[in-house]
Amino acid sequence: MLNEERIILMTKLASYESGEGKKNTAVGSYFRSDYIGMQVVKSVISATIAFFILFALYVLYDFETFMLEVYKMDLFDFAKSILILYGVFVVGFAVLTYVLYTYRYNKVKKNLKNYYNNLKKLASMYDKNKNF
Amino acid sequence: MRNLLEIKELIKRFYSKNEVFIVPVLKFLLALIALLSVNGQLGYMTRINNVAVVLIVSLLCSFLPTGFIIFFAAVFVLLHCYALALEAALVALCLFMVMALLFFRFSPKDSIVVLLTPVCFGLKIPYVMPLAMGLVGTPASAVSVGCGTIVYYLVHFISSNDVAINALESDEATARLRLVIDGLIDNKEVMITVAAFAFTVILVYFIRRMSVDHSWTIAMVAGTFINVVILLLGDLMYDTNVSVLGVLFGSLAALAICVVLQFFVFSVDYSRTEKVQFEDDEYYYYVKAVPKMAVAAPEKTVKKINSQVTRTTHASSAHQPERNGAGQRVQGRQAPSRTISTQSGSRGRYPERRGQSAGASPEDYEEI
Repeated sequence: MLNEERIILMTKLASYESGEGKKNTAVGSYFRSDYIGMQVVKSVISATIAFFILFALYVLYDFETFMLEVYKMDLFDFAKSILILYGVFVVGFAVLTYVLYTYRYNKVKKNLKNYYNNLKKLASMYDKNKNF
Repeated sequence: MRNLLEIKELIKRFYSKNEVFIVPVLKFLLALIALLSVNGQLGYMTRINNVAVVLIVSLLCSFLPTGFIIFFAAVFVLLHCYALALEAALVALCLFMVMALLFFRFSPKDSIVVLLTPVCFGLKIPYVMPLAMGLVGTPASAVSVGCGTIVYYLVHFISSNDVAINALESDEATARLRLVIDGLIDNKEVMITVAAFAFTVILVYFIRRMSVDHSWTIAMVAGTFINVVILLLGDLMYDTNVSVLGVLFGSLAALAICVVLQFFVFSVDYSRTEKVQFEDDEYYYYVKAVPKMAVAAPEKTVKKINSQVTRTTHASSAHQPERNGAGQRVQGRQAPSRTISTQSGSRGRYPERRGQSAGASPEDYEEI
């Protein structure tokens, strides 16, 4: 005979597994530090590329003036100011990533815990059925 | 209201039943509208400014993930810009890349908003986006709406200044580049609109999350009001040449659309609100439960009664087994005095009664 409660639980679990669960299982397979660290590294790379795109646009925007002044300006000071800007930009972005992905990781872990509890519940339902 | 709720249930049922077909069709329509808008606004490259190409790409988008609609729309923009001037394409490419690298890495789901915002601008209902995203999104949606607004203004600037961009000689590459970048950065209207939209998204989000009755309605009205105020204040301060009537009517249209959205997403009955309080070992709970408004969709059972019926007033035949047109042996009904026997052939016993069974009550007949 069909067990309605069990079917509902199985449907919920299957729906989770095929949707959000797929991503969550992938995230849950990492250690917390590994996952967050990996995301921060990705963000640093993204931020670096984005910074260079913006810097290239800045140079191209006034290219003639830049080329005229590049011989007069103190290149060391210019590089230093660009590096400071780059550092602030990347560090700010990395901190934002760290906060966001810590929150996401904790949320995923909580969801997975719930999912595993439901799996246990399902297993116990089967056991109960066998005993009858 | 009951009828509306029934219609809503019917639509929901229809959607869940035909989701496999409806989603691709919606994707196709979104891609089609987006690409046609891009072609309508820019349209410098004749090879892709072609309905056949748009239809093929839209069809492709209908079974690819949603992200591909954004990708193809961006490719179309870049190709058109490239056909106009390499510098315009370069600025557009940089803008798209920075957006993808800095923002869409975090919330790829929200990226569709970047496409929908320019589409809504094209349909003259841009104020829907901040309200709708405040209602169904998160505060982070403010960034997506802002990015969409910037994309729209970039495309709009390029399309309305194409003559000026073309007038510059090709060896004046930096001048062209400067013209496009200045068109975006020095345009106060862009900044004011982005600020107004971002503020509206955040305000609507926080108000609709409040534990007050009719929070969604309050959020929509407050959001519309603050959006109008910021846009008009911006116009007064920076002379952005915003059309006052356009803002007012556009905001009212946005409000009306969001009322429909609210009906489908958040339809609750505040008159039946329950407030309960209880505790466990660790917490006191103050719970406010607001029931959803819902009615069961009307069930229609269709009882088929064959159109060609023969009605026998049973005087002579009801008690006698008879044969119908197909030669089957049919037993006439005994207790009620009338019997209908179906005929697969074309001739009925009483031709003048043919075709009348649909209007008759099913209880009056017995189908054999």
